[in-house]
Amino acid sequence: MTGERPIELVLLEMALLVLLGPLVTGFIQKLKARLQCRQGAAIVQPYRDLAKLFRKGTVQAVTASGFFRSIPVLVLAATVAAGALVPVLRAGPPAFPLGDALMLLGLLALARFLTAIGAFDAGGAFGGMGASREMTIAPLVEPVLMMVVFSTAVAAGTTELGALSAHRGTSWILDWHAADFLGFAAMLVLLPAETGRIPVDNPDTHLELTMLHEGMLLEHSGPGLGCMVLASHTRQIVTLGLVAALFFPIVSYGAGAADLLVGAGAFAAKILVLAVFLALVESSYAKLRLFRVPQYLGIGFVCALTALALRIL
Amino acid sequence: MSAETVQAIIDDLGALLLFTMILIVAASQISRAIYAVAAQSFLIAIAGAVLATATGNVDLWVIAGVTLVVKATLLPWVLHWVVRRMNVRREVEPVIPVAATLALAVAVVVMSFHLSASLGTVRQAITGNALPVGIALTLSGVLVMATRKTALTQMVGLFASENGIFFTAMAVTQGMPLIIEIGVILDVILAALVMTIMVLRVRSTVDADIADLDRLKG
Repeated sequence: MTGERPIELVLLEMALLVLLGPLVTGFIQKLKARLQCRQGAAIVQPYRDLAKLFRKGTVQAVTASGFFRSIPVLVLAATVAAGALVPVLRAGPPAFPLGDALMLLGLLALARFLTAIGAFDAGGAFGGMGASREMTIAPLVEPVLMMVVFSTAVAAGTTELGALSAHRGTSWILDWHAADFLGFAAMLVLLPAETGRIPVDNPDTHLELTMLHEGMLLEHSGPGLGCMVLASHTRQIVTLGLVAALFFPIVSYGAGAADLLVGAGAFAAKILVLAVFLALVESSYAKLRLFRVPQYLGIGFVCALTALALRIL
Repeated sequence: MSAETVQAIIDDLGALLLFTMILIVAASQISRAIYAVAAQSFLIAIAGAVLATATGNVDLWVIAGVTLVVKATLLPWVLHWVVRRMNVRREVEPVIPVAATLALAVAVVVMSFHLSASLGTVRQAITGNALPVGIALTLSGVLVMATRKTALTQMVGLFASENGIFFTAMAVTQGMPLIIEIGVILDVILAALVMTIMVLRVRSTVDADIADLDRLKG
């Protein structure tokens, strides 16, 4: 078994996730551009956007209350706190009580709730529409994510992500239980929904008919918008990290510097695989009509439920 | 291969079979459902090959090969041909909403696992979870047939259901006599041919689909 993760390591991992989040977005955008035979912006473009936003001033709608200003900070804080729960460099539970996968999902749900409430607070029509759409999708996604976590947790006897990841061990797909296949399938179906991508949401457009997440950000500006954008980058890499921890094998058990480097490389490779998957899905499917989305997410729901049934019955 | 490995592989294939079944139930376009049923037949062929290597039964190799050629290649091709020939609308027409069908499919899967759990002594003799998976596939196929209006999607449901029976038989008996399996396969081919001709004839004479033929005229 692996040892426990000290607090320095957990903080380092959290910082890494926040720093690398925009890179994943940039990579997906670059890959999408190449798949569409475009040159595409540089991979570091999201960092430039963030730097630009943080240098700008803030404009606020007259209808917004004072609470509106604190929303971006709270959203970013909740998302980053969720990032602390993802094992990055090596598996194993943290050395101090921190929280488990349910805590992670709860924090992401909190961030989503705050985003929606901020969009309503600003009083814009698009914000309210985006928020109500997001809140229509969210109750279809979150329970299914929990069921996927449970279907893995039943076998491991814990919901702590580091321990779950350690329980997965070093063996690859050959050692998967039948329920793992269905759980992974459910996760792949849900991944675009949770990261706000096609076929559920379109991150590249500000067309009122199609946007979910972007609609909620319209009223934010300057550093506030920067915080929101950084939060959605972080949310994406945290979700990918959750999938990696639940289903992908771990490479190194040790605690030395070399082992941590190997672990970092392995984590990057896992995130890369999932990012390529997302880019391929985005390039090959059209965005679904909003009323079709529940049917699409229903596939994930049935897969997750069947995975649980396989595990328990 | 050891018995545990075979059992694990059959279990995993069963999970993938269930996944393809969910895709068939949830498919909103006929062509996707056809691809899913082709993938399902392909997985069945793999299961046959695995059991053949495990038991050394030559008949199973033949069956796996025939499944691969007929059910994973030929029948989907015929179905695609009919779709092109008929110029049908790409969307399936469900009787009840697809989400409700998905919920029913969940009930079917859970029920088959629950029921076969009570067959404890029988189930131990059987390769892993093959029995409940096979029952679930069969019943879900029937579900697809019952909840779709167009004849083509009903055919897809029939093939999926047949796949379920095939999987159960293969895993439970570890290889039925070749003559029976060949008979079953021929049955499917004949059914596909008859239904294809029926669908095309009905379409060309009265320009209606099966769901419209619900009243008897004297």
